[in-house]
Amino acid sequence: MRHRLLLPALASALLLASSLAGGPVRAADAGPPGASSCTGCHAAKRIPDSVIPRIAGRKASDIVQFMREYRSGAWPSSVMGRIAKGFDDQQIDAIAAWFAAQPE
Amino acid sequence: MATRRTFLKLTAAASLAAPSIASAQASGRVVVVGGGFGGATAARTLKVLEPKLTVTLVEPNPVFTACPFSNNVLAALREISQQQFGYDGVQKTGVVLAQTAATAVDASGKTVTLTDGSKLPYDRLVLSPGIDINWGALPGYDEAAAEKMPHAWKAGAQTVLLRQQLQAMDDGGLVVISSPANPFRCPPGPYERASLIAYWLKIWKPKSKLLILDSKDAFSKQRLFQNAWAQLYPGLIEWVSLSQGGKVTAVDPATLTVVTDFARHKAAVANIIPPQKAGTIAQKAGVADRTGWCPVEPVAFESTLQPGIHVVGDSAIMGGMPKSAFAANAQAKVCAGAIVELLAGRKPVDPILINTCYSLVAPDYGISVAGVYRPDKGVLADIPGAGGTSPLEVVGGFRGQEALFASSWFKTITTEVFG
Ligand SMILES: Cc1cc2nc3c(=O)[nH]c(=O)nc-3n(C[C@H](O)[C@H](O)[C@H](O)COP(=O)(O)OP(=O)(O)OC[C@H]3O[C@@H](n4cnc5c(N)ncnc54)[C@H](O)[C@@H]3O)c2cc1C
Ligand code: HEC
Repeated sequence: MRHRLLLPALASALLLASSLAGGPVRAADAGPPGASSCTGCHAAKRIPDSVIPRIAGRKASDIVQFMREYRSGAWPSSVMGRIAKGFDDQQIDAIAAWFAAQPE
Repeated sequence: MATRRTFLKLTAAASLAAPSIASAQASGRVVVVGGGFGGATAARTLKVLEPKLTVTLVEPNPVFTACPFSNNVLAALREISQQQFGYDGVQKTGVVLAQTAATAVDASGKTVTLTDGSKLPYDRLVLSPGIDINWGALPGYDEAAAEKMPHAWKAGAQTVLLRQQLQAMDDGGLVVISSPANPFRCPPGPYERASLIAYWLKIWKPKSKLLILDSKDAFSKQRLFQNAWAQLYPGLIEWVSLSQGGKVTAVDPATLTVVTDFARHKAAVANIIPPQKAGTIAQKAGVADRTGWCPVEPVAFESTLQPGIHVVGDSAIMGGMPKSAFAANAQAKVCAGAIVELLAGRKPVDPILINTCYSLVAPDYGISVAGVYRPDKGVLADIPGAGGTSPLEVVGGFRGQEALFASSWFKTITTEVFG
């Protein structure tokens, strides 16, 4: 495996309870440009037997580092390199902060 | 023309200005037509972003049958039931489900007419009716012909029919796939289908052949597909391009004959993927142009022909974005966010959208094409330097891993859309 499959074990039930049913203000934020497309693969909710790593609730600085290294090719990937090349530093920072603020 | 434009500008300005008097929070009625990848996403996202909205989803089918991964059903790798999703999760979000079809739209009176003649008023309307077959565009291909020569380009009974025909075919039979000119739903779809049928034929009917008759000279992920075919299914798949005479000009369902300008191919199984257009309700609403598809602006995907009506998914002309479930879902989320802003009297910011289409060449062999898009000169344009296909040369388990990512994507997106 070229990437870490970091799967935070406790989070899914909590997340589901809060993000649906009118939940907290934070979950009802559409996010900065680009973020809503990430969730097509990196869902807010835990998906049983998905092998795509979860990023909701991860440290913003980790997400930023991954994205920059995918973009430069320093960190290998199947698809993230092609995606990260569409975003500049500022956009990545905003998206990372938004995901970091989501329930893990 | 000038008067019409002025009128549109005025109504657009009015609809933007009015709610801001009330408050900065959105309230209002949004109707969404079509409970597929675009529509169900739009309805759910609207309600999650702004619980005060009244959101009604109009969809006649109690169960949605998804097209992505339906090519696996043809190759007996999945059952059609695994493609099916109900609307409980959508309703749980607070969306009102109207289980019926929309039959008309009055864009100036802002109402949607339902099958029983009742009218639903709206402040903003979202249309995501997907495609309809452009019956009549291919001589000989009508609804009756589709029962003999299935398109299987809307998943469900057509998919099951094509699978049954393949299973009933004698070993050594000729399978013909006809692929249309651009634009059409799921550009890599015909070639993924050819791949997975070839995978199945190689195991169960190894003397058979598969012929793709194409109305194009190039197709999505072409080199990746062709390299894989040469490696996995040598001699089994033949692709005939437009300039080699591949364009299908007519079909004869009585004899299962597929006709080009140069030849008549008698098929054992004929899968005709015909020319398509935006779902019929788009024409009725006046949001489709002469191409049969719907022009929209690139920020909120509001129709450039009728203010107050947004179009997402396959029906819309989305610049560089292909017609995919991934794209429909991404567009619907952006559209929902923009509608919340518009109803609150704010101006939506320029979005960025991603598309990724995975295809399986074999169950454990995945390839992908991705793109990143932003508004540029009035259309959604590719961000230069981003996107592209999986590499042509890879080592180790790369293709196997992309196949796993493909099925992970399907689980993720269907959970996001349907709950
Ligand atoms: C074989 C095949 C494989 C595919 N594979 C992939 C893939 O791997 N990845 C990918 O991203 N995409 C794939 N696609 C494409 C994907 O299926 C479509 O792009 C996607 O479904 C488009 O979403 P939509 O919302 O525009 O339309 P749809 O999902 O088709 O939804 C339209 C809905 O509108 C409803 N409707 C229509 N008219 C009315 C009306 N008048 N009133 C009320 N409701 C109405 C319909 O009943 C339907 O439920 C594939 C397609 C095919 C055919
Ligand atoms: C088409 C599906 C897809 C989309 C869309 C997508 N990702 Fe990814 N992401 C993946 C996959 C698959 C991986 C594993 C690396 C690889 O093979 O590309 C990954 C890995 C990551 C990782 C590393 C996580 C870890 O622990 O290894 C981060 C961070 C990430 N993505 C962020 C994003 C952001 C931010 C976006 C939106 C701008 C995004 N992704 C959009 C599929 C996707």
